[in-house]
Amino acid sequence: MALLSIRNLHASIGEKEILKGVNLEINKGEVHAIMGPNGNGKSTLAGVIAGNPTFTVTQGEVIYNGKNILDLPVDVRANEGIFLGFQYPVEIPGVSITNFMRTAVNEKRKYHGLDPMPAGEFLKLMEEKKKVVEMTTNLANRSVNQGFSGGEKKKNEIFQMAMLDPTLAILDETDSGLDIDALRIVATGVNKLRTPNNATVVITHYQRLLDYIVPDFVHILYEGRIVKTGPKELALDLEKNGYDWIKKELEEKGEL
Amino acid sequence: MNATIDHLRRLPIELRKNEVWRRVDFGSFLVDDLQPSQRSQEGQCDCQCNVPNLETTRLILWNGFYYHSLQCLDNGIIYGSIREAQRQYPNLVAEMTAENAYSTINAEGYTDGLFLYVPDHITVDLPIQLQSAIGGEQPTLVQTRNLVKVGQGSQLSLILCDDSTNDDRSFSNNVTQVFVGAQAKVQLYKMQNLNDKSALLNQTFVAMEEGASLLSMAFTFNGGSIRNHTEIRMFGEHCHTEAHGLYLLDKEQRADNYVFVDHAKPNCTSHELFKGIMDDSSSAIFNGHVLVEDGAVKTEAYQTNRNILLTDKASIDTKPFLEIYNDDVKCSHGSTTGQLDDKALFYLRTRGLSERIARTLLMAAFCDEVTQKVEIPALRDWLGDMCNRRLHGELSPCSDCYLNCSTTGGCEKLKLDFHLDPTKL
Repeated sequence: MALLSIRNLHASIGEKEILKGVNLEINKGEVHAIMGPNGNGKSTLAGVIAGNPTFTVTQGEVIYNGKNILDLPVDVRANEGIFLGFQYPVEIPGVSITNFMRTAVNEKRKYHGLDPMPAGEFLKLMEEKKKVVEMTTNLANRSVNQGFSGGEKKKNEIFQMAMLDPTLAILDETDSGLDIDALRIVATGVNKLRTPNNATVVITHYQRLLDYIVPDFVHILYEGRIVKTGPKELALDLEKNGYDWIKKELEEKGEL
Repeated sequence: MNATIDHLRRLPIELRKNEVWRRVDFGSFLVDDLQPSQRSQEGQCDCQCNVPNLETTRLILWNGFYYHSLQCLDNGIIYGSIREAQRQYPNLVAEMTAENAYSTINAEGYTDGLFLYVPDHITVDLPIQLQSAIGGEQPTLVQTRNLVKVGQGSQLSLILCDDSTNDDRSFSNNVTQVFVGAQAKVQLYKMQNLNDKSALLNQTFVAMEEGASLLSMAFTFNGGSIRNHTEIRMFGEHCHTEAHGLYLLDKEQRADNYVFVDHAKPNCTSHELFKGIMDDSSSAIFNGHVLVEDGAVKTEAYQTNRNILLTDKASIDTKPFLEIYNDDVKCSHGSTTGQLDDKALFYLRTRGLSERIARTLLMAAFCDEVTQKVEIPALRDWLGDMCNRRLHGELSPCSDCYLNCSTTGGCEKLKLDFHLDPTKL
């Protein structure tokens, strides 16, 4: 059974339809890249899977671990193992990262019928997971993302992913706003978290990220649909030739 | 009925055209059977508010009376009963003035209060904590008057707690005057945790000399109707004022913060941040008035008031007001009333936090901006904790009493039925 199976997914913001029939299957152990021009629905797809209330699903289903998750609250999806890495992580003044993560880790444990993690163990876990993204900042007194540089924000996303150990991680343009060193650290971090029992979806514009996080499949999301799926080499073609040839191909097939 | 109560009741009509006082009406709190507080034969209440990890000099006003003798330390610090100080040091206490209708009533009828004198160039190491506890055997009218004089170049932190120790009605009409000498630094923290049947008018008048700095904070955790009336006058150049407040209200509670800041001289700054969360049918008023006088060039004055309303019935009446008589100033004021940030809420929930927990966390964060202004770390931690417990409905006036008698049944357990319900948002 596929870990995630999206069938004929349609979603809108207000009256505007963004997703127009997305189909996608993801199995455990796989890495998928979703590429495509701006404004064609990549972030919307990530948001719909995570449960962002901004979007209304009008048709289709999202089956995760055998369950249709579209009616599940955002936090239940998260506790079921879905993680969304934000393109623009939100700054939350006054909420310390430590307090936030301790609450999140314990909420997940509660959801799975486990007792809260003892404070000492939790702090040890934090130190361990900070290393995944070479984080050196003392997080104890820092508010979530407040005053973080672009690189720190993205590292913090992957740090949170490491803390929560998701089964399905969707990383929305995790490479945007990163310098070359930060990109390597973040991508290496994501690779360290890969296991045969989880799957990663990376949304990106650039081949650069995929040099580090090598995808098993590359999908092109265009005008609200996945119009092409291929091996990792597809990303190289896009890097070289842009999206025009895809458009042309679709026109020839009469799909546009 | 007591003549003072009668007089207090008439004031809203007398003051209806007075912009500063027209919204002040303690109406239903001024009940017929309120009696002026009496000195107790048994001495003061034993209860004391304990701030964890913070050593303070603890003083108590029990139903408006001070029960210990006046202390005069080797370094010249004097503290204790203001009534006794008037007898022993009439020259030091002479500067008291009546400022308005309510403080005139106070001047005529106050029972006692704290007199605190810090000579020049003294840093008072331990914060002084004055707990005004009310727990009469009948509905009680309390009037106290505190006078604090801090000499040139001296430093003082004063923590003023207003607590109820039982569930009886009370009305307090209190006045605190603070004189901050040149280059002196004063921190003034007010914490209010009264029962729902009690009302409090807390007037604070601060006069500052050249280069003085003041941090004045008011935390309203509970109480039927509370007005913090603060007037700060910067009479010298290069003064700095921080005046902040936080009010967390539910049921029919009311909190009214009036802050007047007078920039009389050039090169002074003032910052104000007042925030509140209102649940049920509670209501709050913020009335901030910054006066920048003609010659007060290079003034910097900022006022901010932010509110979260949890229900349609809760209300906030906010009026930030700048009155400026010269061109060479930097001033701003702003006010927002709204709800929690949806983006932040979604972000927290994608990490597995339920909507209730995420909202509570954001409300605590909303309070944190004010709490962070507290300059004493242990007090800051404790106030943050008080906010959290208030948000979770776990705060009681007794919860920080060192006697801990509420658990042994010695003191009436005053659990506040308070839970700011974030799901209403």
